Amino acid sequence: MSDKIKITPVNRGKRPAFFDDPAIDQLMAIVMSMSAEMSVLYDRVDTIERLLDNKGTLSRDDIEAFRPDQDTEDERNVRRNEYIARLFRIIHEERESLVSHDKMDEYNELMDELAKP
Amino acid sequence: MAPQAHHDLMVDTTHDEHALQSYVSNLRMYILNEIGGGLSSVYEGRVKPAFEKRAGHAPQDEHDVRHAMMADPYCRTWSTMMRSCQEMIWDSIIPSIERAQPELNIEATRLAEHPKGSMTLDPNVKIPRYVSASDIHLMPGNYHSERGANDVSQGALYDRGVYVYAAGNGGPYGDSIGRSLAQHLKIRFPDLQPERILDVGCTVGHNVMPFVDVYPDADIHAIDVSAPVIRYAHGRAESFGKPMHLHQMNGERMTFEDESFDLVMSVVTFHETSHTAMKNIIAECKRVLKPGGLMIHMELPRTAEMDPFDAFYIDWDSYYNNEPFYQAFTSTDMKAAYMDAGFKEENYIEVMTPDIYAAPFDTFEAAASGPETKAKRYGRLGESIHWTGWGAWK
Ligand SMILES: C[S@@+](CC[C@H](N)C(=O)[O-])C[C@H]1O[C@@H](n2cnc3c(N)ncnc32)[C@H](O)[C@@H]1O
Repeated sequence: MSDKIKITPVNRGKRPAFFDDPAIDQLMAIVMSMSAEMSVLYDRVDTIERLLDNKGTLSRDDIEAFRPDQDTEDERNVRRNEYIARLFRIIHEERESLVSHDKMDEYNELMDELAKP
Repeated sequence: MAPQAHHDLMVDTTHDEHALQSYVSNLRMYILNEIGGGLSSVYEGRVKPAFEKRAGHAPQDEHDVRHAMMADPYCRTWSTMMRSCQEMIWDSIIPSIERAQPELNIEATRLAEHPKGSMTLDPNVKIPRYVSASDIHLMPGNYHSERGANDVSQGALYDRGVYVYAAGNGGPYGDSIGRSLAQHLKIRFPDLQPERILDVGCTVGHNVMPFVDVYPDADIHAIDVSAPVIRYAHGRAESFGKPMHLHQMNGERMTFEDESFDLVMSVVTFHETSHTAMKNIIAECKRVLKPGGLMIHMELPRTAEMDPFDAFYIDWDSYYNNEPFYQAFTSTDMKAAYMDAGFKEENYIEVMTPDIYAAPFDTFEAAASGPETKAKRYGRLGESIHWTGWGAWK
């Protein structure tokens, strides 16, 4: 076997940590990679289902050779985007329910008020 | 992601690599639009009020905004996702190129055998520090890494990388800025009939290739300091049947004769150089331009014209995406730089064009025929995509 080239960073510098605890940045990177692995797996299952629908049988070569046409890709885009939205809902939700600190104070007041005997 | 226009240097991917690249581009668009779209309300809703309470005044500039925003958990989450996603783009492409590289180099050599255009490599061209010292936009190996003779691997990485990055929104040829510019110039300056056109910092030629279509009678020349991307650009152009003359050359010290081009351009090259290099390139552009010729550089919008939040957003890349000159560049006054180089004030022009693929043609045409337009918000900040450029007639 000939030696394959390796494409590696040559001058990337230190990776910034955005959170005070860099483990949070690492965790987020892991979650994102896992989300990608799952999506790839889902596309593969989708390929298998399509091949079975069309031919009734399949082989690994069939799966490897399968390339989505634009209609299939469009369907997958919709599915992937819904998947992404479900997965990262908690972050997106913060955007919808932005509560300024004052509003939080109001909410705490409400709690106190409702708890009054 | 719509399919990228096929050419003979495109790298085959496995079933799963294709699926991964598609996902990463979906994910990037989500982070950019859905999560990133919330940043301004986070800023207005809680970051700015808290800053004002603390400091007794509104944030004065993008640095104030950055310090305050980067302490906010929503902005931190968005940032860490942007950063990871950028790394994932390259990681989703690299294995296919490592596998294909030997054949790819052979294919590039084959494509160069009976060319419609030409390629001139110059091993004496030194890679400037602003290229060698940083993997720009985190691309591993940057533009210049060379892995053996006739290597084109970094060209292949860039070609696919920017396509996934833009989720195909640059059109099948990834040429939206160049095609918008060429069409804009053609409509706006009908008397400009260039015989020779030069592109500085062409990489794989994405944005200069449309000039072959729009100005079919012109000779098109394009330069870059990196041999791997020039080889790739040459092979790509030949594969598409577009005659282009590629040169490995430094824009700061060109070997072209004085007054030998009618149109000298670049697309997003300046922000990846340095202040000194930019000045040198402008001076060289002036030297090689014929009297009456046009120089035009398409680039990032100017932060001086923006409010501090928009400037923070634009310049995020400078701090967290390995774009070391970006922030200094977006605050440079281009008109002043051109006048320093000896261009006359009355010959200075600006380009603000809607994206040719995104805008209806009448809108595009109106922007090119009417008086100079100014969009309120630009590029990825705007409701519609606009490209900005700064130019001068010699
Ligand atoms: C962002 S890329 C430009 C993209 C390209 N214009 C396009 O439209 O696709 C910047 C390029 O400029 C090149 N470059 C940087 N400094 C240069 C110089 N002084 N002379 C020539 N090329 C240069 C880099 O090698 C890199 O390929």
